[in-house]
Amino acid sequence: MADAAARKATQDSLQDVVARYPEVPRLIIVKTDVQRRGVFYTDKALEVLDETLHQVTGTHIFGARDGQLEARPESLLLRDGTSIITTPTPLEDNPYLVDLIDGKLWLVDAGEPVEEVEYWPAPDFYALTSSSGIPMKNIASARPQRLNIFPYRYCTFWNNGNGCTFCDIVCQLKKGKEELQIPARLNPAEVGEVVGEALREPGRFSAVFLTSGSITSGKEPFDDEVDYYIEILGEVGKHFREKKYPSQMIGTAFTKRQLERLYNETGLMSYTADIEVLNEDLFNRHCPGKAEWIGYREWKRRLVEAVDIFGPGRVNTGIVAGIELARPYGFRTEDEALERVLAEAEDLASQGVGTVFIVWSPRPGTPLGDQKNASLDYYIRLAKGLHELRVKYRLPIGFDDYRHCGNHPDSDLSRLLPY
Amino acid sequence: MSTLNAEILHLLEDPTTTKVVATTDEFGIPYAITSTFLQASAAGELVHLELLEKSATNRNLLRSLWFDKKVSVSLLATDGRSFVIQGKPVRALISGPVFRGHYEKVRALLDADLAAVWLIEPEEVVNETFVQRKAEEEERFPFSVHLDRLTVERCNSASR
Repeated sequence: MADAAARKATQDSLQDVVARYPEVPRLIIVKTDVQRRGVFYTDKALEVLDETLHQVTGTHIFGARDGQLEARPESLLLRDGTSIITTPTPLEDNPYLVDLIDGKLWLVDAGEPVEEVEYWPAPDFYALTSSSGIPMKNIASARPQRLNIFPYRYCTFWNNGNGCTFCDIVCQLKKGKEELQIPARLNPAEVGEVVGEALREPGRFSAVFLTSGSITSGKEPFDDEVDYYIEILGEVGKHFREKKYPSQMIGTAFTKRQLERLYNETGLMSYTADIEVLNEDLFNRHCPGKAEWIGYREWKRRLVEAVDIFGPGRVNTGIVAGIELARPYGFRTEDEALERVLAEAEDLASQGVGTVFIVWSPRPGTPLGDQKNASLDYYIRLAKGLHELRVKYRLPIGFDDYRHCGNHPDSDLSRLLPY
Repeated sequence: MSTLNAEILHLLEDPTTTKVVATTDEFGIPYAITSTFLQASAAGELVHLELLEKSATNRNLLRSLWFDKKVSVSLLATDGRSFVIQGKPVRALISGPVFRGHYEKVRALLDADLAAVWLIEPEEVVNETFVQRKAEEEERFPFSVHLDRLTVERCNSASR
């Protein structure tokens, strides 16, 4: 019975899900479904892509579903200001089309226009090169309101084959290095130079964001990663009047000593350590490097400890929603997955740690690359569930919302909250 | 979308016009604020500059956009002319050249931020200028008038 229900949910159309959840904005359901299924840009849509006006793909540390690296639209904006962060997807996987209709870009499904979209605007600094001659867009990148820095494009969990099963960071690093000449490790002074240039553009950025692969080395594990972040953030911080500035870092789950250093020695205001999947057994299977070096329970404990340093509503964790259902070890039904994931998220929320999700995009070159993600119904229930936990425990999500990230349908729902 | 006529466009451009944006919350409770920067776009939309991300108005505008609810905009000129415009928020700009242009104008005038540029499509324009509405009302609803207003003029007589 449960399997039959799960199959039905998988087959639900966008319209079915919109009708089933009238309390969830249609735009957020559309966004989630586009993230779930990906997009295919028609030739007409690509003809209006202008690299002087729009952001094109290039610097992201994760790859596209079709495995290609050529310049295409980085992502899309909906008319409520929400981003759809998605990647080009082969037509045989049934993505939404992005097409040009009467001079405007539209998401199209089964021949029907679904919603108007826009390409992300390019920031001014994308046209510039750094003092060492590197295109600045290869050092920092942008979301509609966020300045991204990916200082280290390798993850040392891969050294002994323990990279996460859904992750293509190393594959993408090789492509980026060979095809785009993106440095694998950024020079902190050069990052500072690019950030300084980016901040000249009025109204363009409301947060600085930093993430990279894990670096296990150091006097204590991950000390080198922390040192590197501190060095980068130090260069960024030179451009601000106050010590603290709106910023987020997604890093490894650091120790209290390491977190205190990050908080006290830099301008960092929020902290994220992605646990990826909220179940100990599945964490061990899908994140063997994180399991080997830290472990599921210790990861959670460190997240909770981070709240003492950064404050409630300034610490969260991210999950790659859908991998908890991946075969052969995943939960058997979406109902079971939802119940178990939300119970773990509530355990964290009750201790001041928020949870956000991204829709899992199975990518080529990863062990799970040939699997399907979950149903739209599942993702909407998960978004509602995580949002409701945020309400129940009064956890703000301002540092990881639609303006500062745009990749989390659950935090989109929290836009209506007064905190 | 209703077209804003020249008179309304003029009122929107006039800095002495009082401009009010009224929205409703999830319970239907109204919330009205003055919108100092309210203006018309080249495409004929009303443009409300929302300076605060978590303001009740910003959240109500988003709710209206998400759930297809109307908002109301009122204009009151110093000479008494008044219009109410009902419409729907159709777009929130948070990035791009239009957003930047408004951001720079706000920053030139105030030490403030800009959360979103809201585009509101007008659907209906009602002339609420009192002298005009009064004439219409008295014409259409003659039984609503208090009789003492209709009596012949008399000199004040001695008290009874």
